[in-house]
Amino acid sequence: MLILQQVANGVLLGAIYVTIALAFTLTIGILNFLNFTIPPIFMLSAMTAWAAAQFGLPFGIFGPMPWTVALAFGIVVAILASLLVERLTFRYLKVRYGDATEHAIPLVSSLGFLLVFQNGIRMAYGTEPHRFITPLGDMSLHLGGIFISLPQVLSLALALIIVFSLSYLLKRTRTGRALRSIAENPDAALLMGVDVARIVPVIFILTGLLCGIAGSIFAVNYGQVYSGMGDEVGNKAIAGMVLGGMGSIWGAIVGGLLIGLVETMSIYLFGGDTVQSVVWGLLLVALVLRPEGLFGHHGIGKGKF
Amino acid sequence: MLLEVKDLDVRYDRLRAVKGVDISVGEQEIVTVLGANGAGKTTLLRAIQGVVRAARGSVRFAGEDVTTADVPSRVRKGLVLVPEGRQIFVSLTVHDNLLMGAYTRRDAGLAAEIDAIYDRFPNLGQRRDMPASVLSGGEQQMLAISRALLSKPKLMMLDEPSLGLSPLYVQRMFDLIGALNRDGLSILLVEQNTSMALATAARATLLELGTAVLAGPSGEVAASERLTSAYLGAR
Repeated sequence: MLILQQVANGVLLGAIYVTIALAFTLTIGILNFLNFTIPPIFMLSAMTAWAAAQFGLPFGIFGPMPWTVALAFGIVVAILASLLVERLTFRYLKVRYGDATEHAIPLVSSLGFLLVFQNGIRMAYGTEPHRFITPLGDMSLHLGGIFISLPQVLSLALALIIVFSLSYLLKRTRTGRALRSIAENPDAALLMGVDVARIVPVIFILTGLLCGIAGSIFAVNYGQVYSGMGDEVGNKAIAGMVLGGMGSIWGAIVGGLLIGLVETMSIYLFGGDTVQSVVWGLLLVALVLRPEGLFGHHGIGKGKF
Repeated sequence: MLLEVKDLDVRYDRLRAVKGVDISVGEQEIVTVLGANGAGKTTLLRAIQGVVRAARGSVRFAGEDVTTADVPSRVRKGLVLVPEGRQIFVSLTVHDNLLMGAYTRRDAGLAAEIDAIYDRFPNLGQRRDMPASVLSGGEQQMLAISRALLSKPKLMMLDEPSLGLSPLYVQRMFDLIGALNRDGLSILLVEQNTSMALATAARATLLELGTAVLAGPSGEVAASERLTSAYLGAR
């Protein structure tokens, strides 16, 4: 029974990794850009939600908010932060140097943003965890001896809904086709009449939305938020994305869930100290056996925008 | 004139790739641009489409000055470029490639047009749900032209459409160009296959190192000694 409980916990942890891994895989798959601002934006949205619930908006514009409104506010802030990153790393540099095939520039400036966001939050609210209290936290289901909290169920359902809607968006809609064509060949996409500069922000809006949702899931499930929460989750999400196959939506969900399961199982079986070695060791082995990841494929669809 | 390009200059840094070129295409006319490698033919087409900016000169299309218009708005006005090397999306299905061609359109009737394309090219219809990477070179060129057609162009610019095709497909391609033209499409054609291009087009312009050195009815250009010297590099 205890082992099934670990599976349930692992799946929840995996649901957070899946959501963040999706954000990574979208920007890599379509823009060929490893966006280091994804973990800090995830943290920023949760911290913003906490601060909004605790204090409301600064200068007395708005008092402390109910937790649901605060979470929604956190998601909005995440989207705005993501658009700011697009404006100041990706677009600015592309306009300035004409060619974003120079990946190093957005990469390094996104690293800069990581530090700005993280240290900004640290200066404002410190490094210690803050409690994020919701009535959902106490509700739970008992299924044959396994204890599953309501937020866990909701989180997993939410993660699955996101995966299916993203997959639908990319496969079946006009915007999705445009995004996939940009991923393969931005020059040809432009010749089809796709306004590439106008559609790139869509990726960043989706990225911000995913980070915000993951931040909300984290805050509601663990009942606490802290300024370093992005680091650990971000690393594991990257591991999940690579394991599943970069640029693949289904790879992100399988990879993210696997990493979550491996993490909780290794804690259960070998103890907490072994987590990092087990997760990263497994990843290395998997990459030696299948470098393109579980669902990845070589060559096709490599964006260079 | 449907397309009127006047005194067009395109620069890459300090290099002038196109120098003061005038070219025009009338309604339902086929015009060809000839010249050796590096003469500026591709750059000329890309400048007309708006992919590269004109440093000087003007581009008028369908009665409007589009010199500063961006590529999507030129596509919406009915100007489309089938680029060199076809540039179809190999990771998308054949059908999605066609839908991308219709990206700027929001009207009904698209499904019927796509069905007509599948009737015309059964090879595409049979592979509609497969990635376009499974198509042969000739089929890819047919897909590239079909895709461009779905934007409902008035003028189609084709950059080296016969490049790398088998003789059979080169013939089919020129037949297709002729058929589209009879249906009312104007065509600006850049070709290495000089004899076929001159046989298809009503007028021709010869580029040498970015300058239009000869322009006129295809028959006159074909008879000119300048044509051979442009390719052989002799003066």
